[in-house]
Amino acid sequence: MRGQASGDDRARFATVVVPHLGDAFALARWLTGNRADAEDVVQEASLRAYRAIAGFADGNARAWVLTIVRHTAYTWLRRNRSSTLVMVDDLEAVERTQADPSDRDTGTPETELIAKADAARLEAAIAGLPAPFKETLVLRDIQGLDYREIATITEVPIGTVMSRLARARRRLVALITKD
Amino acid sequence: MTVSTPPDDPTLLIHAYVDGELDPANALEIERRLAADPALAAERDRVAALRATLHRHFPREAAPAGLRARVAAIGAPRRTEHPSWFALAASVALAAVVGSSSTYLAFGPQQPGSGSEAVVDGHIRAMMAPQPFDVASSDKHTVKPWFNGRIPEAPRVIDLAQADFPLVGGRIDVVDRAPAATLVYRHRKHLISLTEVVARGRADSAPARRSSDGYNIVQWTAGGVAYWAVSDVAAGDLEDFAQKFRTAPADQ
Repeated sequence: MRGQASGDDRARFATVVVPHLGDAFALARWLTGNRADAEDVVQEASLRAYRAIAGFADGNARAWVLTIVRHTAYTWLRRNRSSTLVMVDDLEAVERTQADPSDRDTGTPETELIAKADAARLEAAIAGLPAPFKETLVLRDIQGLDYREIATITEVPIGTVMSRLARARRRLVALITKD
Repeated sequence: MTVSTPPDDPTLLIHAYVDGELDPANALEIERRLAADPALAAERDRVAALRATLHRHFPREAAPAGLRARVAAIGAPRRTEHPSWFALAASVALAAVVGSSSTYLAFGPQQPGSGSEAVVDGHIRAMMAPQPFDVASSDKHTVKPWFNGRIPEAPRVIDLAQADFPLVGGRIDVVDRAPAATLVYRHRKHLISLTEVVARGRADSAPARRSSDGYNIVQWTAGGVAYWAVSDVAAGDLEDFAQKFRTAPADQ
């Protein structure tokens, strides 16, 4: 049961958590793969954030909220969708099956192929990334967080953020530039 | 932040450069190498093109209005009209969930229409909770046995996934101070709570629709069980759900 909340807690919740619901929902949607599950996750994460609001030290509210959303999403996925959660921190298996760059359609410049990629194909390619790569790419290239924020949220060193990001991007480029 | 102790792999620095994460000295060094190395320049062009494409296709969006309203309600002063109801519901549901037999709680005679406020409250309370069910499963062979030992009679559980009403779980609600089985179904983005209360001796009745606090309710009685379906789906969809549930084969 929820504890007795003070008016201060309610005011802090409104200023710390509520402004970041759009980002919270976007991250949850990418991690769960659909909007209905994302709503469940964000609602649960919001409740957790509300209970923990007194412990939030002034700082990066968005990173704090997204940290809670990320934890909630993975807990939720393990509980409800354990078969879809791919946590392997290893892209080598998929990279081995990746097309050789020379197989590419050489008639069109690569950057043009990237620019022409349609949303559905991109979305499917991102959805297929193992979770550590997907979350890093989404936080950086869709949500616009910087490396330090991503390192905080995903609880890894900045060097790991950089290598995951580079590999996730290369994987996406390979997927959307082949026929 | 800025990356001042560069990793060995120069392509990682290209990514950091495009992301604006390099300090000025490293950025100048990378620009010098980009000018001299076509492979690195190609990597920079790919990263920049990918970022532009992602920005174009996936702009920032607001959270859905319904979610925003529910989250805002978390931080809003709580409803105070029925404080004892919440305490009672929580304690009785907890008692039922921790596994003690609740058969000592006799079902009193049900009056037609009674309990509808309780089932709406149960639905609202569930929508506010971390999850709207105590057992999460789309499998009726998991949901139905879960109720054994928690309530006197297991509910009728129908699989309606083919009709676009997939089962998502079940929970215990409290109706007229007795635990009652509630099944939770999903219809598109909405949830439907179907509460079943044993009502022995009560005549069957056809589905009747009403609304309360913005929620639609369809109530009917069949085979000595009173059913309440509560949801924020359109009234027509909820009646469709009731119709499909009622007419499904008995041994489903």
